[in-house]
Amino acid sequence: MKEAWFSALGEPLADREKGELAAYLQGLGLNPAMPLRRVSSWPEAGALCSSRSDEWWQAEETERERLERSTKLDPADRDWLDVNSMLHAAAAAAAARAGSEDAALVYVAAGAASYAAYQARLARASGAASGHPFLRKYALYSGGRWPLGMYHGAFAIF
Amino acid sequence: MSAYPSVKTVEEFRQQPEDYQAAVRKIVRSHALNELYGAQVFDEPAIRLAPTPYAKWLTCRVAMEEYHHHVRFKELADQIGVRADEMDARHKRPLNIFEVPLESWEQFCVIKMLGDLAEILQVEDLLHCSFVPLRNIARTTMPEEKFHAQFGLDFCVDLVETEPGRARVQKAVNGFYPEVPKFFGASGSRNNQLYRQFGIKLRSNEEMRADYVARAKSTVEPLGISLPTV
Repeated sequence: MKEAWFSALGEPLADREKGELAAYLQGLGLNPAMPLRRVSSWPEAGALCSSRSDEWWQAEETERERLERSTKLDPADRDWLDVNSMLHAAAAAAAARAGSEDAALVYVAAGAASYAAYQARLARASGAASGHPFLRKYALYSGGRWPLGMYHGAFAIF
Repeated sequence: MSAYPSVKTVEEFRQQPEDYQAAVRKIVRSHALNELYGAQVFDEPAIRLAPTPYAKWLTCRVAMEEYHHHVRFKELADQIGVRADEMDARHKRPLNIFEVPLESWEQFCVIKMLGDLAEILQVEDLLHCSFVPLRNIARTTMPEEKFHAQFGLDFCVDLVETEPGRARVQKAVNGFYPEVPKFFGASGSRNNQLYRQFGIKLRSNEEMRADYVARAKSTVEPLGISLPTV
């Protein structure tokens, strides 16, 4: 599938994406049937992820730390850094299309995509199966979404 | 403006006197290692300390830019003949500034606000460097360095809105700031004299340190924060 980072922000979720999200949550040991909150704008995304989301973040970190016990990646790898620059450019382009002029929020979006791409890279390097939650999350990102985390009992996605 | 003629390419660099080449190598190596240490000991670990996804992701992006700065300087270091062992972070003791243990989010915000301000001054001094490839890296990285320092300032502005937050920021400033003036090197430095003679740098260590202290003071005072006497 062709990657299209940040290209579907604010659009209704397809059933395939809902299924991907449920499987991602289940893979992290979170409730796959939790309500979904569809975020529709950059300011809403920025405000929402300015709240804590500790349960979700910790679930991801536990898995990241488990994978990193056996697999180490070089954060200063040239190709990897080029991917990060591409992600920043994609976030900036999407924000500009939406009329958002919040440079810090572009950094936030680019950082979120970088973290997701790192997690997927880590999962692949560790030989994880295709249904690994980090690979499912990567599929959502590279399909144009920005998963924002769990807030007030619902999972938010832009 | 430097009296030393512009050295436009790595090929021209190789035609320069050995003292010039050694001086440039020393500066490029220093920047490459500082960017790497900063990313490793401050930026990457701070993702864990950040309180919200917003702050974590922003920190993640900043960390990746710092790694990218390291790679830009390292690629130039490789081209101008810096030996691999001189670039190995495991064999080169880091500057004192990187030995401050990172323990809190407030501390990280202060490090970005005041530590990256020091880096901005160092990079500013290279903006008119006689070695053009180094000048170009300085010009590329400068907007990002400014964003990183602004990142620290913006979060500190939020933190000082409450009295306990202000107290934590003041504590972090008290712990970190005394290390920063040493970052500019010794007064009367022979190396710095050579850098200026070759048009690699513009200012003396003393001038840069004095400028830094003034800019750091004007950065923190509007927050109700004071700098400890050093």
